[in-house]
Amino acid sequence: MPQIGVDTVRKEAWDKVTGAAKYNSDRLERDMLNARILTSPYAHALIKSIDTSRALKSDGVLAVITGDYFPVLTGSIIEDRPPIARNRVRCFGEPVALVVAHSEQEAMKATKLIEVDYEPLPVINSIGESISSQAPLIHENIGKYFCPDGTIQPKAGSNLLDHVRIRKGDMNRGWEESDIVIESKAFIPQSDHLAMETRNAVAEILPDGRVIISTSSQAPFAVKEEISKVFGIPEGNIIIKVPLVGGAFGGKASVDLEFLAYLASRAVGGRKVRIANSREEDISSSPSKISTESTIKIGATKDGIIKALEATYFVDCGAYAGTGPRMAKAMASDGTGPYNIENVHIDSYSVYTNHIYVTSYRGFGHTASTFAMERAVDKLASALNMDPLDIRMVNAISEGDTAGTQTKITLSNTGDLRACILKLKESINWDEGNRIVESDGKIRAKGVSCFWKTSNSPVNAATGVSLTLNSDGSINLNFGATEIGPGMKTTIAQILAEKMKMDINDIHVFMEVDTQLSPKHWKTVASMTTFMVGNAVIKAGEDLIRQLKSLASIILACTPNDLEVMGQRVYLKDDPDRGVEFKKLVQGYEYPGGSAIWGPIIGRGTYIMKRLVPLDLKTGRGKTGVSWTVGAQAVEIEYDPEKYTYRLLKAATAIDVGKVINPKTARGLIMGGMSMGLGLGTREEFLYSDDGIAQNTSLRTYKLIHFGENPEYIVNFIETPQIDGPFGARGLAEHGIIGIPGALANAISLAVGKEFDRIPISPELIWGTKTGGKYDTF
Amino acid sequence: MDAVIDIKGIPECNVCEIRDGKLVIGSGVTLNKVAELNYFPLLSRAVKRIADHTIQEKITMGGNLTGTIIYRESALPLMVSNSKVIAVDRNGERKIPIEYIYDREKGLNPCEIIVQIVVEERFLNLPHVHVKRTKNEKIDYPLITISGLKDGERINFGFSGVCEYPFRSYKMEDILNDRSIPIDRRISKAIPNIPGRILEDLNGSVEYRIFMLHTMLKEILDKFEEEGELDG
Repeated sequence: MPQIGVDTVRKEAWDKVTGAAKYNSDRLERDMLNARILTSPYAHALIKSIDTSRALKSDGVLAVITGDYFPVLTGSIIEDRPPIARNRVRCFGEPVALVVAHSEQEAMKATKLIEVDYEPLPVINSIGESISSQAPLIHENIGKYFCPDGTIQPKAGSNLLDHVRIRKGDMNRGWEESDIVIESKAFIPQSDHLAMETRNAVAEILPDGRVIISTSSQAPFAVKEEISKVFGIPEGNIIIKVPLVGGAFGGKASVDLEFLAYLASRAVGGRKVRIANSREEDISSSPSKISTESTIKIGATKDGIIKALEATYFVDCGAYAGTGPRMAKAMASDGTGPYNIENVHIDSYSVYTNHIYVTSYRGFGHTASTFAMERAVDKLASALNMDPLDIRMVNAISEGDTAGTQTKITLSNTGDLRACILKLKESINWDEGNRIVESDGKIRAKGVSCFWKTSNSPVNAATGVSLTLNSDGSINLNFGATEIGPGMKTTIAQILAEKMKMDINDIHVFMEVDTQLSPKHWKTVASMTTFMVGNAVIKAGEDLIRQLKSLASIILACTPNDLEVMGQRVYLKDDPDRGVEFKKLVQGYEYPGGSAIWGPIIGRGTYIMKRLVPLDLKTGRGKTGVSWTVGAQAVEIEYDPEKYTYRLLKAATAIDVGKVINPKTARGLIMGGMSMGLGLGTREEFLYSDDGIAQNTSLRTYKLIHFGENPEYIVNFIETPQIDGPFGARGLAEHGIIGIPGALANAISLAVGKEFDRIPISPELIWGTKTGGKYDTF
Repeated sequence: MDAVIDIKGIPECNVCEIRDGKLVIGSGVTLNKVAELNYFPLLSRAVKRIADHTIQEKITMGGNLTGTIIYRESALPLMVSNSKVIAVDRNGERKIPIEYIYDREKGLNPCEIIVQIVVEERFLNLPHVHVKRTKNEKIDYPLITISGLKDGERINFGFSGVCEYPFRSYKMEDILNDRSIPIDRRISKAIPNIPGRILEDLNGSVEYRIFMLHTMLKEILDKFEEEGELDG
């Protein structure tokens, strides 16, 4: 019976639907202390003084610390961020002091008694202000910070963090060969991850020096490594534990509250301290999604063949680098979209502003570059009077082409975009037309978009799997990726079951991650878990099979090559009735006479990214991932030209995933991605006042798409195997979001008859764009 | 020392019944209860569009009328039906028109609470409309909400989201009810008579609100005047 390609109930489903599942913040213990932060009310100010004396005297308070307590700078790309601000605050919501008290209430009350004297500084409230020659510096030491990522080049005396270049082909030739040139601008504001579980961490320091942190992280091993580096603690003394995580979307991939939890525990002699973000803190004090401004110029022949692409992206990283520059790099390296373009010139700049700082977010920058590109492609199609899907078909990247990074494209490493476009076309009934005026005057319109994405991981991103066995012959599966919601623990169990030719119910998953027990997994990010851990678990299965066959060959008096494994049994290929069951082998074999051999069997497997090459600083030549995943998406809306409102009717995706392991969860992941994309397209954005204060930091005013506001979702899978993927599978977890904002904006632009080059698109924006935004007295 | 006193347990705050030709609603009655009992369909309609069902189970009439959220949409049906509230403080009880509670001078004193709302029975089943428009969502604070109630030949209007407080304007009503001029002209004449500064906030600009107000008033007047009787 196949174990992959069949709908499989996730291992933690019963615990989750009954409420028995525990997330990190559910674990309240009697001896836990509680920490709360005081945050900056200014976007940019000097801290003249902080008086904590009244807070220290407040009931239940054990410690109050500020940035002076343990001055240190953190950051995985640029070490520019103090966990608690010191001397200066650079964004609204930044922590300026931390109170540890017996109860959360006491800690909260004491934060209000801390007196901070600020001297406001000029605020940089936009990308334009940041790059202006008169701009004040947000980081005076920008040229002197240590950059763990050696490819980053912050520019001294500016707010410019990095500049990534992609140079391919000959631009002059590209423009010469073009019959038409289209220019297009695009803007996507900052927004939040809004995982259901807000970020939280608990830290304690034991008398023997061990530091134990349990946290809602996507990256427990990165937490271990960074805590070790920042505070000078040997890695072996640090234990990071992560139970189920209540959604992450990239927002829990950076180390954030773990620093604060450690400092809080240290300030009270190592006692166990819990820090848990309120929703408002999770929005404004923990990192958010990037904002981007893009300019696209494409040249094409009259047949719609794109000959040249010139793109400039500015990425607003907010007050600290976070993961921003890496997303700017990802945007540049995948900036062509899944199109074959011979001549490419891309500049991607990362800049500081006084906005909330940023970290990875589902799609890792690709949503922004795709939005810009797909708006431009639609404008090109319109100028050439071509069908929007036809122009994408003509330019679709395929075997033998090269990416902007000059990496060779194969069917295996990229999949079949044309098959996706054809599938999409059929699923949304494209042939009926993409702009239809209904009898009641409303307009039904369809917009489309293509996407691709690769991992953009470090060249040495690695993972491991360990397998132990129970005396009933069942397997315990242990690996270091955290279960952040997509059911990947189950997906990996399916792959193992398929490899072992056994029932998935006899595979038991270690649902948590404990860095002391679990093999290292780089980070649960980049849609890479199924691919990386899947490859590792296949190797671990091979390792088990090899050992089982070796042992069984002794018992059955044959060579290992004579044996086959299936149904938790090792048997002779030519005489399947003769064999031995796992349960007699896995803890060592005992002869009928009494002597025993071998001992418990342990399986192991690893995977490391292969042959990735960092981007060349001048040309951007390199290889940023093992493979791409491509797809095509569409959004259908109904526009009311009298009210300037629209309704979402359908959202569709056709994606080449190589091989579907768990169809229902895969479909759910793509739908979830589309839903987030529609959220970005229709309503999600941070609004800043003129002085850089985020205005909508609560769910009263920050709007998400709600159940009931969703359209009908259509998901179709294409399966072009990736030959080095586990059973042919490639990544798919983020991808549902990537093309949706572009497809939505294309649909609305077509319906309204005006170009919408920024999201979110609200009815007021449509009204303002269509009418000039002035009330007409009729 | 700050203190919070829960007044929801006071028996008078929990009644909801027709008594001597009047509907009496205690200020502690939840929005869901008002909607379920449905003595006053226009009010039921209004409260069912405030927050979501779970929250409607918690929000009380008194809370919605006087809380810190400025929209107070349950006031609109009460305004267009000339309702009164019974307010009590240590000096005794007074019965005041609902609009007074949003008036700086005639409004509630510190330490004065609303005990009950009183609606005359003859208003309960008049033809009405209730229209709510938000920035984008099904459930959200209003961009603009309007309640309309047809009392004889005259339509009464209550507005939320237009200014910082809910209001009913007799002057605007006179203009909007003047059938001697076309509907669009009436609306254009009524809008400059909005009794306060028009809101400009995250939900919408002043200009957009005026556009929306015009559109909504036109819809309402068209419905009342073209289709005659209706219940929204």
